[in-house]
Amino acid sequence: MVGRDTSQGRKMLSLLGLLAPPTVFLGVFFITPLAIMVIYSFLEPGLYGGVVWNFYDLNYGRILGWADTRYEKFDPVYLTIFLRSVRLALTTVLLSLVICYPAAFWISRMPQGRKNFFLFLITLPFFVSLVVRLFAWVLILRPTGFLNQALMEIGMIAEPLNLIFTDTAVVIGMTYVFIPFMFLPLYASIEKLDMSLVEASADLGATRLQTFRRIILPVTLPGIVGGSIIVFIPSLGNFIVPSVLGGAKVMMIGNLIEQQFLSARNWPFGSALGMMVMAAVLLLLMIYVRMMTREEEYSTAAKVKES
Amino acid sequence: MSPILSVKDATKRYSTPEGGTITALDGVSLDVQPNEFVTLLGPSGCGKTTLLRTISGFEDLEGGSIEIDGATVTHLPAHRRPVNTVFQRYALFPHLSIARNVAYSLEVAGLKRAEIGSRVGEMLELVGLDGFGDRKINQLSGGQQQRVALARSLVARPKILLLDEPLSALDKNLRQKMQQELKTLQEEVGIAFVFVTHDQEEALTMSDRVAVLSDGKIQQFGTPEDLYRRPRNEFVARFLGAGNLLGATVSECKDAGAIALLESGQVAHLPSTDAACGEKIKLLIRPEDVRMDCTKDAGALRFEGTVRQVLFVGTDYIVHIETDDGTELKATLRPRAEDRGAITAPGARITLFVQQEALHPVTSAKVA
Ligand SMILES: Nc1ncnc2c1ncn2[C@@H]1O[C@H](COP(=O)(O)OP(=O)(O)OP(=O)(O)O)[C@@H](O)[C@H]1O
Ligand SMILES: [Mg+2]
Repeated sequence: MVGRDTSQGRKMLSLLGLLAPPTVFLGVFFITPLAIMVIYSFLEPGLYGGVVWNFYDLNYGRILGWADTRYEKFDPVYLTIFLRSVRLALTTVLLSLVICYPAAFWISRMPQGRKNFFLFLITLPFFVSLVVRLFAWVLILRPTGFLNQALMEIGMIAEPLNLIFTDTAVVIGMTYVFIPFMFLPLYASIEKLDMSLVEASADLGATRLQTFRRIILPVTLPGIVGGSIIVFIPSLGNFIVPSVLGGAKVMMIGNLIEQQFLSARNWPFGSALGMMVMAAVLLLLMIYVRMMTREEEYSTAAKVKES
Repeated sequence: MSPILSVKDATKRYSTPEGGTITALDGVSLDVQPNEFVTLLGPSGCGKTTLLRTISGFEDLEGGSIEIDGATVTHLPAHRRPVNTVFQRYALFPHLSIARNVAYSLEVAGLKRAEIGSRVGEMLELVGLDGFGDRKINQLSGGQQQRVALARSLVARPKILLLDEPLSALDKNLRQKMQQELKTLQEEVGIAFVFVTHDQEEALTMSDRVAVLSDGKIQQFGTPEDLYRRPRNEFVARFLGAGNLLGATVSECKDAGAIALLESGQVAHLPSTDAACGEKIKLLIRPEDVRMDCTKDAGALRFEGTVRQVLFVGTDYIVHIETDDGTELKATLRPRAEDRGAITAPGARITLFVQQEALHPVTSAKVA
């Protein structure tokens, strides 16, 4: 009895010992800054930066629709930027998904040696600085850039397309940056896909399309969702890509936050904007979890009733 | 009766990564009758799976043709062939419930929900899984998964069911139980089964007919008894159970039969043989045909020798004997109580007899 008690105590102790470092680390470097952000977002901005310790809800008011009537009328500009960010992030997710899904399929069916080579290629961009790579895109997309030159050369367009400093340029840039993040989780789940399931489906009379919709897509769904989340979150808050490829014309919420913290020195407002981004992400994750549980219930409950 | 499945001269080659080619099927022809249980039997790599996959439509043939129920399907894609497969590892859909796995073929065919429901229910009942419909695949045992796989491939009423070593993942007891169940199920649903195994006992007990394959060729196709008692060549003889193969030379061929001269000098009268005069052949003697008691048969072969090894396997003794001229002979004996002492000691002298009827000549040449 006593022996077991002490051995269990030991187990607890070693568990605590193992859990302590990550707990402390996350506590100090994640929870604390987050708490500071939450608190700041409800404080009044000081006149020359810093904060005044008063409860103040107009940081959120400026974004969502109740303005400080003494100074200004409500301007939905922040909401517009926020919604544009969501739209651009979703487009980025979709585009990278469309690019990565077939590619992951293709690579996962290669012989081992070639597979490793292509996986290495996917990670290759990480070896070069992000800013350098984005400036390369400037060279490609600007009116006298490579793409326009090439298109004009082959006669597809008469005069240069206005690509740089547009939503399109930002989406292209973000897709380019986040493709590896989409690819890897997708690849992981597609690689695991048992090809005999695909054969079984065909054997049971399903066309290729039916097999894709009913077997391949649901079985690889975890990878799709994982990749989408991993791409959506940093896309939504991204500020490097829009500042290089969007210029002053395409501002995303990330640029706005950066501005508030650095040049405008309005930390409370920046924090409130940050909270908005977080809320959007959390909302999305919640919808995802709800969908997943419902899917599970559906697939177990369906058909039983009918039979 | 016209065959439900007719494979003619099927040839299939694979190219290996090293740049060579492997002939997995080499002119295979096979007819299966409706309602027949046919087994493809052969050692690993002989082309069993390949043959099955060409029938189901997963592999294209380089030559030859396949007909199902009179219609040529050689170039039809898998999803349009009226055959279904039970895969070796079942390949059940992990994201669907049992009921929806079974319903799959009906759903993709666009049947009405009510009909799907009732047919799935019937099928689950047939394989003894009613009440399991809403479970997930990973909540089932191996044997139950096996049954789901069966139900799933039978529910669409295929003309032929193909099974690729469906029992190899099960332990021995369950395996024997499933062998019986499978046979019963086949009789119940009344369609042709083409079953793959490399277990000769399984093949013999379950099948109406067995096709023995080697190197992509059918060595012999016949009833289990045919194959066991009258193998066409040495390969088939060896592959189907233990046997003694004694070297002999055909010395006289007559219409009524042939005379073979054993290497030991004994003379054997054979009912008939395809072998030409002077040809070297082997005589097959199954161990259970070796007897201890002298028979009235005047032409019986007589072997005198020394017991080398005795294995007691329950009712029988498996005895290895070295005859005086150096031939090894394996016998499954069931001696009377008073004779047991005579054989159970290695080194004992023993006299054994083999009746003429038990001799079967085989050629050593494989089907080429
Ligand atoms: N996709 C393939 N590519 C190249 N060679 C193959 C391929 N599939 C099978 N083979 C070769 O074809 C031959 C027959 O293979 P098959 O799978 O039909 O054998 P099998 O009789 O089913 O064997 P087992 O009992 O081990 O399952 C083998 O030599 C195998 O190596
Ligand atoms: Mg096989």
